[in-house]
Parts: sequence; C-alpha cells; structure tokens
Amino acid sequence: MVDLPEKKVGVISCSGEGCVEGTISRVATRMVLEQLRPDQTVTICLPLFLAGGEEERAFARYYPTITVDGCEKLCAKVGTERYSGKAASSIVVTDLTGNPGCSKLPSRRQLDREALILAEKVAQRIAQEVDEVLKHWR
Amino acid sequence: MRRMGYPTEKKVVVIPCSGIGKALGSVSRDATYEVVDNLRKGVTETTCLALIVSGDEEALRLVRDNRCITVDGCPLQCAEKNVRFAGGDVAASFRVVDALRENRKLKPKTVTFLDHDGQQLSAVLARDIAKKVDELVEK
Amino acid sequence: MSEYLQTVFDKFELRVRKGYYYTEDGIWTNVEGTNVRIGVSDYAQRTGGDVAFVDLIREGTQVERQAEIGTLETAKTTVSLHSPISGTVGQTNATLVGKPELVNSDPYGDGWLAILAPSNLEDDLKGLMSAEEYFQLMLKKLETEHKKLESG
Repeated sequence: MVDLPEKKVGVISCSGEGCVEGTISRVATRMVLEQLRPDQTVTICLPLFLAGGEEERAFARYYPTITVDGCEKLCAKVGTERYSGKAASSIVVTDLTGNPGCSKLPSRRQLDREALILAEKVAQRIAQEVDEVLKHWR
Repeated sequence: MRRMGYPTEKKVVVIPCSGIGKALGSVSRDATYEVVDNLRKGVTETTCLALIVSGDEEALRLVRDNRCITVDGCPLQCAEKNVRFAGGDVAASFRVVDALRENRKLKPKTVTFLDHDGQQLSAVLARDIAKKVDELVEK
Repeated sequence: MSEYLQTVFDKFELRVRKGYYYTEDGIWTNVEGTNVRIGVSDYAQRTGGDVAFVDLIREGTQVERQAEIGTLETAKTTVSLHSPISGTVGQTNATLVGKPELVNSDPYGDGWLAILAPSNLEDDLKGLMSAEEYFQLMLKKLETEHKKLESG
C-alpha cells in the first residue's frame, strides 16, 4: 500500500519557448522549488504530464496544484483541468505584466534585468499561493 | 541564398522537451534557442511542446507542414514521441544524454540557470543540430 | 500481494524489491540458484540521475566483498559500484552499453548489472540488509536529507 506523504503542492508551469513569458514562468517556478518553498512544493513536468506521465498525473490527482502559464493559451491550466481536475490556483504571467499576449521584452533565452525582476515577482506570487493552498488544505 | 530542394518559405522546426525537472531539459531548451536565434536564424523556428500536445491548431499545422527536429533531455523522449503522435514530420531527433556521452567531462548540475558545463554542452549540441538543419535544407 | 515495498516521496514512487538483499549504497543482490544477480535499487538510480555510462569489471574477474566493480556515470556525477559479495564475475549486462537508461527505467529487471558466482555466500549475505531493513534506511534518508529527486 502506498503511503501518502506530507502536504505538498504541485506547481505545473509552462516553459513555452515562444516568448519570454514562458521562460519567466519556468524560472519563477524553479525559484519557488529551490529557494522560496523547497519543502512544500513539487514541480510537475508539463509535457510529460500532458503526454500521460504516470507519476505526474498521480500526484496531481491527489494533491493540490498551482498552474503557472506564460500566455493566454493557458496550456498548464487547461491541461491540468483536463487530466486531473481544477487547479487550486492559476497564475498567468501576462496578467502580472499588464500586457496581454507575448511581451516585447528582448530576450526569451536569458532573462535580462527587467525580466528577472518580473520572474522574482511571479515567484513571490506563486509562494503566496502555495501558502494559501496549504492553509486551506484539510 | 536560395537552397535547392527545400522551399524557401518553409522552415525547419526545432522542438525541445524543456523538461523542467532536470538540467538536461534546460540544455535542450538552451540549445534550441542557440540554433533558432543565432546559428540558423531565419531558417529555423521553434514552438512549445505543450501547445502541440494540447492540440493547438497553429502549432499542429507548423509541425505537420514543416520538417521537425526534436531535442529531448532524457531517454523518456517526450518531444520526439509527442511530435510524432501529433502527426509531425520528425526528420531528426537528438537526445541531450547522447551529447553527454560524447562529452564525458561535462556534467551540468544546475537546472534554473545553466552552469558552465551546461552552457558548453548546449553549445556543442546546438552545433550538431545546426549541421542537421543544413542537411535537411540541402535535401 | 505486491513484489515490492513502496513509498511515495514528492511525486515519485520508490520501490524496494522484496526477497532481495541490499547494501547501504543501494546495490541489490538476488540469489539465483548457485549464482547471484546484482543491480542498483530504485532509490539509488533516482538519486544518481540519468545514467549515461555503465563501466563494469571484466567477466571472469575475482572480486572481494566491497571491492569496486565498476562505475555508473550519470548526467551529474560518477558513482562507484562495490560488490556486495565475494566471488567471480560470470556475466555483465552487455545491453547496458547501448542502453544505459535501463538502469533508470527498470532497475530490478532489465537494468541488472552483473551475475556473480559467489565464493562465500552464506557469510556475505549476513553482512547485507534485508529488503525491509533497506526500506527503513531509505525512509530515514528521505526524511533527513530532503532530497529533491530529479524528474522528467
């Protein structure tokens, strides 16, 4: 029999290559995983999750998830709802920038200072959502 | 310069797995950007694997109408399998772990931002991908 | 009834094959008639990372218990492998040359490392842990080391 471990939140992030917001989404999620909430979070690999990765889907079925999307296509949010139910919380990077669609921030590969500041902001937001989810998790 | 055989309006689409849990996923992503944004800019393009798997029409059309190169971080090969499953024309596939086997001294450890070994591995892989792009364009 | 003891850490299901013997480093030993087959545990492969190379000692070599018999080179590190028993290396898993990923994907099955003809099996097995003991050790390591295991 499989034991359920302590409370953790799955963070499902897009890593969209199309624009810098995908990179911001990815980097912000990693910041939460490595620095801000390392013991409370697990990252779910989105392509593996969508393609049927057993561990990813099993986790998302039993534990709360937070989706982080770069753009309005909402791959992480829609995919999570389709395969494991509604996410506990959803964040869209373009909502935080105030600009709909992909931004004109120059580098999608290596974040410049402006994009890095935005990534930190998104990371803090994710961390807050993790705390909220855990607070209300029975 | 017009190349024979491959219509100039077509591109080679390079799709990384971008696995977020492993350093090799980050290398796949970085190598793709190096090819698409630098080495073979204008001849190549990229799109999100998640969009393809989600069934986004634009992404599906792109991989079905153009030759694709997939770049996978690990042997799970999410990019190759899913692009094929979506009906994409996978002309070549690369695995970062194979590049690792050919460059044994490089041991990328960090995921969020690539360390020196990760950047080196990405550069080596990007050059190999670029050569493959040239072959595909020449055909 | 399951062949495995299992637990979940983060999103990973970690399994320990029942009936096998284990070293603290996670080398498993399974007695098969007069020979033993060895490999690495699920926990060991998960913490080591994606295996890129498996280098093993030559077939026919005699080894002492705890002697180095090879290395697993992964994406992030190189791990030394030490023999759990004394004996002669009868066969190494040649499939791993071209498909080292089998160590990760099937550590208790197709990812086996070597088959040995033991020279002192009864005594050597007493120095190994049972599956239950190794399982408890693994749980303790997970609890105290808080490893972030790599994912796909």
